[in-house]
Amino acid sequence: MSVSITFLRPVTRVLVPFTLPRKRRVLYTTILQRYMSSKIPAVSNPSKESTSSSEQLELDGWKITMKSSVQEEGVSTFSSNKDEDPLAATRELIEMWRLLGKEVPEHISEEELKTIMECVSKSSKKKYLKYLYIREKMKKAKQIKKEMKVAAKEQVNKDQLPETTKENKQQNFLFLRLWDRNMDIAMGWKGAQAMQFGQPLVFDMAYDDCMKPKELQNAVSQLLESEGWNRRDVDPFHIYFCNLKTDGAYYRELVKRYGEKWNKLLLTATEKSHVDLFPKDSIIYLTADSPNVMTTFKHDKIYIVGSFVDKNMQPGASLAKAKRLKLATECLPLDKYLQWDTGTKNLTLDQMIRILLCLKNTGSWEEALKFVPRRKHTGYLEISQHSQEFVNRLKKSKTFTSFPRGSVNRRSQKS
Amino acid sequence: MTFYFTGIRSFPKLWKSNPYLGLGPGHAYLSLLLKDCYGIRNYKWFSLKPMSPQNTKAMNLLIAKARYVRKRDEGSNKQVSADSPHLFAAGAAKKRSEMNPQSKDHFRLPVRNIIQLPTKPLNSEEWNKLKEDFKGKTNFENWILSQMVKYHSSIDVAKSVLAWVAANNNGVIGYDLLVKYLYLCVFHKETAEIIDVYEIMKARYKRLESGGYTLLIRGLIHTDRWREALLLLEDLKKVIIPSKMNYNDCIQGALLHQDVNVAWKLHQELLGHDIVPMMETLKAFFDFGKGVKDDEYSNKLQDILLYLRNNQLYPGESFAHSIKTWFESIPGEQWKGQFTTIQQSGQCLGCGKTVESIHLSSEEYEFLKERIMRDVIDGGDQYRKTTPQELKRFQNFVKYCPPFDIVIDGLNVAKMFPKARESQVLLDVVSQLAKQNLKVLVLGRKHMLMQNSRWRKDDMEKVQKQASYFFADNISEDDPFLLYATLHSGNHCKFITKDLMRDHKACLPDAKTQRLFFKWQQGHQLAIISRHPGSRITFQHILSYDTVVQTTGDSWHIPYDEDLVERYSYEVPTKWLCLHRKT
Repeated sequence: MSVSITFLRPVTRVLVPFTLPRKRRVLYTTILQRYMSSKIPAVSNPSKESTSSSEQLELDGWKITMKSSVQEEGVSTFSSNKDEDPLAATRELIEMWRLLGKEVPEHISEEELKTIMECVSKSSKKKYLKYLYIREKMKKAKQIKKEMKVAAKEQVNKDQLPETTKENKQQNFLFLRLWDRNMDIAMGWKGAQAMQFGQPLVFDMAYDDCMKPKELQNAVSQLLESEGWNRRDVDPFHIYFCNLKTDGAYYRELVKRYGEKWNKLLLTATEKSHVDLFPKDSIIYLTADSPNVMTTFKHDKIYIVGSFVDKNMQPGASLAKAKRLKLATECLPLDKYLQWDTGTKNLTLDQMIRILLCLKNTGSWEEALKFVPRRKHTGYLEISQHSQEFVNRLKKSKTFTSFPRGSVNRRSQKS
Repeated sequence: MTFYFTGIRSFPKLWKSNPYLGLGPGHAYLSLLLKDCYGIRNYKWFSLKPMSPQNTKAMNLLIAKARYVRKRDEGSNKQVSADSPHLFAAGAAKKRSEMNPQSKDHFRLPVRNIIQLPTKPLNSEEWNKLKEDFKGKTNFENWILSQMVKYHSSIDVAKSVLAWVAANNNGVIGYDLLVKYLYLCVFHKETAEIIDVYEIMKARYKRLESGGYTLLIRGLIHTDRWREALLLLEDLKKVIIPSKMNYNDCIQGALLHQDVNVAWKLHQELLGHDIVPMMETLKAFFDFGKGVKDDEYSNKLQDILLYLRNNQLYPGESFAHSIKTWFESIPGEQWKGQFTTIQQSGQCLGCGKTVESIHLSSEEYEFLKERIMRDVIDGGDQYRKTTPQELKRFQNFVKYCPPFDIVIDGLNVAKMFPKARESQVLLDVVSQLAKQNLKVLVLGRKHMLMQNSRWRKDDMEKVQKQASYFFADNISEDDPFLLYATLHSGNHCKFITKDLMRDHKACLPDAKTQRLFFKWQQGHQLAIISRHPGSRITFQHILSYDTVVQTTGDSWHIPYDEDLVERYSYEVPTKWLCLHRKT
């Protein structure tokens, strides 16, 4: 919101004189009031001289108006909704929640209502409502931004109108403006090249039964993003989607999101498993649970990333898969290079592919681990410092063989 | 630069985090603090102030204090007395956590309340003036009422707000304001006002939401129109399952107006929804039954006690008093109640009877064994915690070995005393147990057999001479094997670990099995509490009796929670109510 406002600020002075559609005008005024700190006009009200004796009367006055105003309107009362269907009742409930200022959406479709009815518990209902509420808010904000852009554009056009009529003379250019298309074509060529000679990178899609619909959608979003990053790279991987069942939810979602593009994508989507496509000894399964730490990026190995968004904590799912097929596993050396602070060491798929691409092109860990979210670590570790610590640890472990008597929870603490 | 001081909350992390860092120069903390300062959010009525020198001082003091506490702790050698509470006694975890010094101080941001809450009704001009002083982002009426709710202002002041809003808003007051006002009325038990608001809401809105219903129900049960609260409950049921609070209020209301049948009906309904009733609800039934001679009613109360037993729930202190009073008030039956404790032998100090043993029945035992194998070790994917080959190896091993007396979690025991060598500690424990002619099994991981500074080969060889052993792969879980080996050996077998096994308990599918597991764990887990030089290990004593509500017909033993003791979910109460009938 505030972003759009900062954008608006310089323009506001220009905007105000122009007439806008009525709805928008209201919005603008409120926004302007809020952000240009113009004072809200004081509401005029009949000021009653209240004496202490009539105070009590005055205090209860609102009840009468509240009741009487209703009787005129003749709104139905509690007792009249005995045989109301639960769907409508739920809608009413949500509306009342909204009046109370809870995080529920303003408009709700029949389908969404049905979803709410199907929610098992109260908390899941509330969660879903909050999700809808946030989505609605985002939509509205986008809409407002869009309208502002349009308005600003019109403004610019109006300003330039007189000038453009003058400037009608020929100019010399080297290229036509077809950059985007050319970029796409160039990336297509590179992709085709990668399909022929690129290093394979496998996304293991065998986790669709471990995920809830929400997680699956997130996973697909991350896959799209990963594919995009790969496409733009100098030397792309040849991406494989292995274990992708054509009747599975994963496939459906991917096709839905890619649309027409799905069949023109320069990657290999297959129902086969990665162990059928590649020799077992050249496969390395990347998983955060792995005991082995990745030291260097090997250009002759096939790395596998499990496309699995795990929000309900199933530790060791991917390690179990690798164990089952007797594959080598590795994890990123996050602890070695970063001072880890918070968050899981499971990175998103797009972060993974960017790290791998970076390693492939430069081979430097510091460079590659730029893509680890900054909130998760406090900075890079000096490698020398790391080894120093290790030496200290060894020293410590040797010096203490005797120890004082202590309680159950004693920790070794040296001040 | 503004500092956001709730960052201090993560201070304990500092003491606990890295034992190797030690307490070095103070700048380490500062950097950590700075990091926590990113989370500045502009709260509505917090004024963020730059860090004053005073605060820096306070911070340094805090660090110094923690350092001091720690030093002192290191200096003193805490002796755990032999009669220390057992591992699962209520409050034990709290005690354990207090052994790790942590800063308990929290800095409070100076809350600058922009507006002093008025203490008496104001008129419109005064409210208008206040509104102009208000600089928050929310709407003023809403905010001021929220504050009143927070500080429980008198309802007259709230009324004056509503009157003012209505005057500005041609007689209309929003639902949110009404609900807040209703809350105040319910808080102050102003029944007439509650009825008024109820009428208004009935007139204005077709239906309400859960919060409004809850408040109305709570308000109406004390009035003559308490039956309408039941109608409201029906309304609520159409959209969501009412909370235990709603049921509690309705039941209390019914009992207040002597309608026992309705109360029991609601209670049945509540249990039908799989809701765990509030202890207050159950207490109300007991309180109501005082002095009533009615077999049906007293049977139902006994059912409540059995419900507590089956779900391993424990009454609170006041509830225990209610139970005692009810039993003692039954006419014609001379019950005598007293608050006691149970001796280690399982005898009640009050009446000398032995309470139920902690041991499972043979069906339960078999059931639990099978569940551990199926859900904890296998869990639908054998590769998660182990591999099929390893599982085979383990099952064969267990099958062909004679039953053990003690199963040791090698890694857990070895790492108990950080300053001693792991293999040495393990050897001490094993040899001490072997001297008592116990058959010992040591479970561990294969890396323990690799020679290094912490795991000496000769120690491990001695261990292997004195005990059977099974080493799992380094990436396998060893705890499930420990559980299964212990269960497989039979009821006399104990296991040694300090691990509370909560994650494995969580793998079990339903609450009933989890309770069974917990019961078995209490009776079979040995924890090491100290190790004296001279390598004598002392163990925590094991409970021989089951802490659960129980009866023998003419006596009841009911464990209860004390009000001042914080009990964790994996602990059991230590205080009992002993009731017996004089014959």
